[in-house]
Parts: sequence; C-alpha cells; structure tokens
Amino acid sequence: MAIAIPTRQARTRTMPRLDREARAGLLFILPWLVFLVVFTTYPVIGTFTLSFTDYSVIEAPEWIGLDNYQRMFFQDSSFWTAVENSAFYAAVSVPLRLVLALLLALVLNLGVRGISVYRVIFYLPALVPPVAATIVFMLMFNLDTGPINVGLRALGLSPPDWLRDPVWAKPALIILGLWPLGIEVLVFLAGLKEIPQDLLDAAAVDGAGRWRRLVGITIPLLTPVILFNLVIGVIYSFQVFTPALIIGDTTGEPLESTLMYMVLIYRNAFRYFSMGYAAAQAMILFAAVAVLTLLIFRSARVWVHYEGGER
Amino acid sequence: MSMRQGNGSRISISRRDLIRVAGVGTTGALALDATRRGALAFAPAAQDASTITFWTPGGSPLYCEIMTEIAADYSEVNPNVTVNFQCGTDPDAFQERLLGSIAAGNPPDATVYWDTPVALGVRGAVMALDDMMATAEYAGVENWPAGVLASCQFGGQTWGLPVAAGTYGIWYNQELFESKGIPSDRASFPKTWDELRAMSKEFTRWEGDRLVSAGYVLPAPSGLAPTLPIWSALNGGQLYDAENQTYTIDAEPNVAMMDYFIAWLDEEYQGDFSRVQRSGAWGPYPSDEGQPPQFQAGNLAMIEWGSWGLGDFYAYGDPAFERWDVAPYPVGPDGETAVSGYWPNWLVIPEGSRQAEAAFGYLDYLSGVGVVKWFEVIPDLPTNAEVPETVPTLVAEKRGEEFAAEAIDFFRDQLDVVTPMWDSPVQSFALDQLTLALERILTKQGAPQEVLAETQQACQAELESVLSSQG
Repeated sequence: MAIAIPTRQARTRTMPRLDREARAGLLFILPWLVFLVVFTTYPVIGTFTLSFTDYSVIEAPEWIGLDNYQRMFFQDSSFWTAVENSAFYAAVSVPLRLVLALLLALVLNLGVRGISVYRVIFYLPALVPPVAATIVFMLMFNLDTGPINVGLRALGLSPPDWLRDPVWAKPALIILGLWPLGIEVLVFLAGLKEIPQDLLDAAAVDGAGRWRRLVGITIPLLTPVILFNLVIGVIYSFQVFTPALIIGDTTGEPLESTLMYMVLIYRNAFRYFSMGYAAAQAMILFAAVAVLTLLIFRSARVWVHYEGGER
Repeated sequence: MSMRQGNGSRISISRRDLIRVAGVGTTGALALDATRRGALAFAPAAQDASTITFWTPGGSPLYCEIMTEIAADYSEVNPNVTVNFQCGTDPDAFQERLLGSIAAGNPPDATVYWDTPVALGVRGAVMALDDMMATAEYAGVENWPAGVLASCQFGGQTWGLPVAAGTYGIWYNQELFESKGIPSDRASFPKTWDELRAMSKEFTRWEGDRLVSAGYVLPAPSGLAPTLPIWSALNGGQLYDAENQTYTIDAEPNVAMMDYFIAWLDEEYQGDFSRVQRSGAWGPYPSDEGQPPQFQAGNLAMIEWGSWGLGDFYAYGDPAFERWDVAPYPVGPDGETAVSGYWPNWLVIPEGSRQAEAAFGYLDYLSGVGVVKWFEVIPDLPTNAEVPETVPTLVAEKRGEEFAAEAIDFFRDQLDVVTPMWDSPVQSFALDQLTLALERILTKQGAPQEVLAETQQACQAELESVLSSQG
C-alpha cells in the first residue's frame, strides 16, 4: 500500500495556506476579542486593582493593601450573612431549576398537537422584566389575598407570611426564581432533540419501559446539556439581585434574610460610597464562582457522557 | 468570489483581498470618528455657555411637569440662560447615575437630591455654596431655618440648599376621636407618651390574632428609622452629635425609649410586632402587598406623618373620613420639650459642574420663586423665609381656605423646633443599621441595650473610617 508522504515543497505550500487561514480566522474573531478585552478582561483587572484601594468613585483611589479583605472576613457580619443567604439560594434553587426545566422539556418534547404554542407560553416568563415579575409575585405572596396562600388554605394548610417571616422570605425568592425557566427548558429541549430516536426505539423493542429508557438512555445522553445548565445556573444563582433588592431593599428585610451577595456589593458601592470595598467583595464572588465551576467540571469526568465515549 | 464589472467581465476577489478592504475600511471609519470627536471636544463652548443642565432623581408626572414649567419661567426672566431639565425615571438608581456622571467628569450643573448633601460634600462630590450664598437674592444663610440648613452643613461649609422640607406631626382622625367621646381639638391632643399610649388603647381592637383597628401603631422599621432622631429627642436623647462627630445610639435615653416601645407593644399589641404588621398597612401608604393604608381607611386613629400628607392623604382613593387635624409630637418620659423633624428636597451643585455660577442662579430662583409654583401643586413645604406664605390648593378645596391655612401654618411652625437630622457623613449606612436594629428589637430578636450597642459600634466605626480617609 502506498503512503503519501508530504514533500518539502508540498509542506511549504501547505503551511503558508494554514497561516493565512489562521490569520483570517483571527481577524474574523477580532471584534469579539476586542469586546472581551475591553468589556470583560479590563474591568476584571480594574476591579482586582480597586479591591486594594479606598475608593469612593468621586476621589482618586488610595492604596490600602489588604484592609478591604481583612474588614470583609473579620469585621463585617453582613458579609457572612450575605454569603450564607446566597449559598442557600444557590444550593436550593439550582437543583430545583434543573429538575423542573428537565421535566418541562420532557413534556414539551412529546409530539402532541399545539406543542409549539406551549413552548412559547413556557418561554414567555423569561421575557418579563424582573422588576415587573417581582412586584406581581409580591402581590401573589400576600398573606390574605395572594393566590398562593389562598391555594394553601384550600388544601387545609396554614400559609406563611412569606415576605415578613425571615424563615420564609428566602423560599419566596427561590419560588420567584423558578418562574422564568424558559431558557433552561429550551436548552434541554435542544438536547433532547439530539438523542437518536433509533436508540430509544431499539430499547423499546428490547422491552425497556419509559422509566428505563429515561434513566438508561435519555438522561445519560443529556448529561452534557445538564452540565451546561448546571454551570450557568450556579453562576446566575450567585448573581441574584433585582428580586432581592425589591423585596428586601438594601437591608435585606426581614432581618437580613433576603440580603443576597450582589445586593451587598451594590449597597457598599453606591449607597455607602465604598467602591473599593465593593470591588473586594466582587473579587471574592468571582473566585468563589470560578472554584465552584472548576469543581463542577472536574466532577463532570465522572458523570457526563459524551457521544462516542469521549469525556 | 467574483464581481461583474461594468463592461460585463468578471474580476476575482480573494478572501485576503476582502479582509484587507474590510480592515482598511473599518480603520478609516474609526479614525474619522475619532477626528470628529476630537473636533467636538475643542469646539467653542459659546453655544453651551447659556445652557445649564438640571436633574431630579425622579418624580410623578405632575412633579416633572411643574419642574419643566419652572425651568421655562426662569428662562423667560433670564433670556440668556436655558435650563435643560431632565426628570429622572429611577430614584433608586439615581445615586449610581449621579456618582457615575461626576466620576466621568460630565455631571449635571445642578440637581435635586433626596438624601443629605453632607454625605456628598464630605467626599468632595458637590461644591460648597457659601461664597455664592453670600451674594444670593434668596438663598442667603439668613433666609433658611438654622435647624434645616444644618442638614447641609459639615466642616464649616454648606453643601446644599434645603429648598423644601416637609415637617412632621401627629395626624389624627377627628371623627374617630369624637365617636369615642374624645375631644378632637388640637389643644386637647396628648402632650406626653403616657397620654398618647393611654388614649391609643381606646381605639385598639383585635379579632383573634388580627388587629382590626388601632390608636397609634409604631411604623415598620424602614419607616421608623428615618424619624428615630425625633423620638430620641422627644425622650431627651440624641442619635448623632454632629458637633462632636459622635454617635450616641446606645445612650441611656435611647435604650429607655426602646424599652418603652417594647412595653407598649406588650401591653396593647399582644407583644407581637409581626402580628401587627401582618394585620394591615399601618402607615399612610399601601403596603408592598397592596393592602390599603389603614389611616385613610378609618381604622387607625393617629399616625406620624409629614406635611406632604396634605397631598398624599387624598392620593389613594376617597378617604373614609373628612375631618382630620395635626398636632405636635408628645414628649417622652425623659424629655422636656416637643420637637419635630423634617425631610427636605435638597439642591446641590456637583463637583465638575461647568456652569456652577449660572446653576446657582437657578437654584437661587428656585429657592425663592420657583418653589411657590412647586408648592401650589405638590405640598412640599418651602423653607426659605423669602417665600410668600401660600396654602396648599388641594386641602383648600377639600377643607376650606381657613383650615388649609391653619394646617400649613402648623407645619411651618414646626420648622422652628426641628431636631438635628440628616447631618451625618454616613447617613445611609446609619439608616440601614438603625433599620436592622429596630427590626431585631421590635421582633424581640435582641434586647435593646445589646442591639443598640452593636449599632453604635458599627456606625461610629464607619464614621471614623470615612472621616479619617478624608484627612
């Protein structure tokens, strides 16, 4: 069997073409690269630098070393309250969102009539402005007349005072956060469409029931999409801001139970004129989310299955 | 890729050529834009010399409309000055917008500000106005009530003008008083906290664990925190000593004040502040959950409220009663004299304003002339001594000119007995700390002494940090 070995001339002709293509590729992604550098990388570096300064926005930053970090970890009780609140929110809301979004996607993946209308309906909440949604939900959480408590009373349950009880204020925020699931549902739906129908048919022929097909085929093949939604969900859960600010204001009412980390950063930056301290808090958030994301990707080697057996 | 030429022949364009052309074109466009911006930066400022930019953080459509009219009126009497008025649309985000514009070197020439100018002044965000006030027609130091002007002063300088300052009093439902056989004239209103507390019980009624009517209910923490300096002063105390730059939150009169509130809560309101709050909106405004205000609904006999209530009382549908009046605050067990409080609209000139003198001219006009038109529509009480005394038109329509004049005279008189407020460089921080402290105390999550001590420590530390960073 003859094997073609590239000659020196052939290699010389190929390399300039590769270089040209590489340069062309770089040029095409240049606008995005510029955007990344100007609007992401530069602000992150700027924030990191500001975190070591006393900066009120009005006057020039003054270098103070690690004072902001020392204050954050050892003197500011609100910091730990916000960390606890945000961690709780993330730990509960992310799995809930994944499960609900997957269930919705599975339902929407059925080939029933009018399914495209249902897809639009389920996506619509994602388009509602968060301020409007929060105000509506605050009315829905009304102790006496809100439909949520009316429903709970009809079931014979004693409804909580969602927005005044510090025990229930965070669950109220989580419930509010479950409403705009549209994006995750669409992503799951796209993933479900990629699952070869042949596999499912073959499994059915072999006697596998719906549950077995779901657990044995659908979910394993969906794990890359689950990974994506999980990472995005974790990142966004730590950035919950608008609902927390509207419900709890900058003090996290009631009793700091709705004081989320982003609200803490905001109030330090713009209410207390401590932009340097807020920058330090932002860097801690950045580091925490980065570590969490890395851990998730590390764990993905175990539970994420890519088609073709690659991980 | 190929293109057809005019003569029908085709020319070939490679990807490399296409990218070159695109790159050159983009570079050229960017260069032209930079040149244009550079030219504009050096353009003569003559066209902007007579235009000043004036902001407000927000406001109702009526407020924005009246501000626009005032700006136009000013331009009529000062043809060489045009006021470019911009009504804000998001008061909550105004601080960000203002700070951002100052930091960017592009602030408005002047603005209404709904928080203490002291916090801005101590950080160099606004200009001191003393020199300009010295030659002002209306805004001279002598024309402002000292207690109200103090909210703009720090370090021997004046950082803003308190153009309008609603003062506080205790509003009460005269019809409800009379239904209980209680005299409803102002002179008979309780003079002490004990009298107020005793009278309040006459109106308080529970149905199970639901409060259906009440005499006087302590506001929710977020509403009580701004007026806590008043209650502290009524009990012979003080929260912040501006002269010595010291917080005194955990001083004995303040601990006694909170102990008194807890005792009142236990005696009249089943010791459960949350239960009271759940039962209704015991303030002058609807709750976030849409509950109607209980004072206007006729279920709350007395309420702490400001002079802006002269308009807002009628803003949420027809009240359940017609006759109301206002009385001075009663004095606490450890207090001696009745005081009041205030909440101004402040006018400031941000650092970096390009037309500071022209802007101050407008603020001067607003303080003495423009505010009259403002007050005709929105009852924010003018504070300047040069402003002719007028009556709020809405109250005059509803209750007659005589009553309207009496009511506004009452609130004007309160300007002379206001306690120091809004004068701390860390006002917002302290307000948040006090709100949390009140939450914890009123829901019995902490004892007053302990909670106030923690709040004192936090506020004093923040104050010292800010003052030391300013040198």
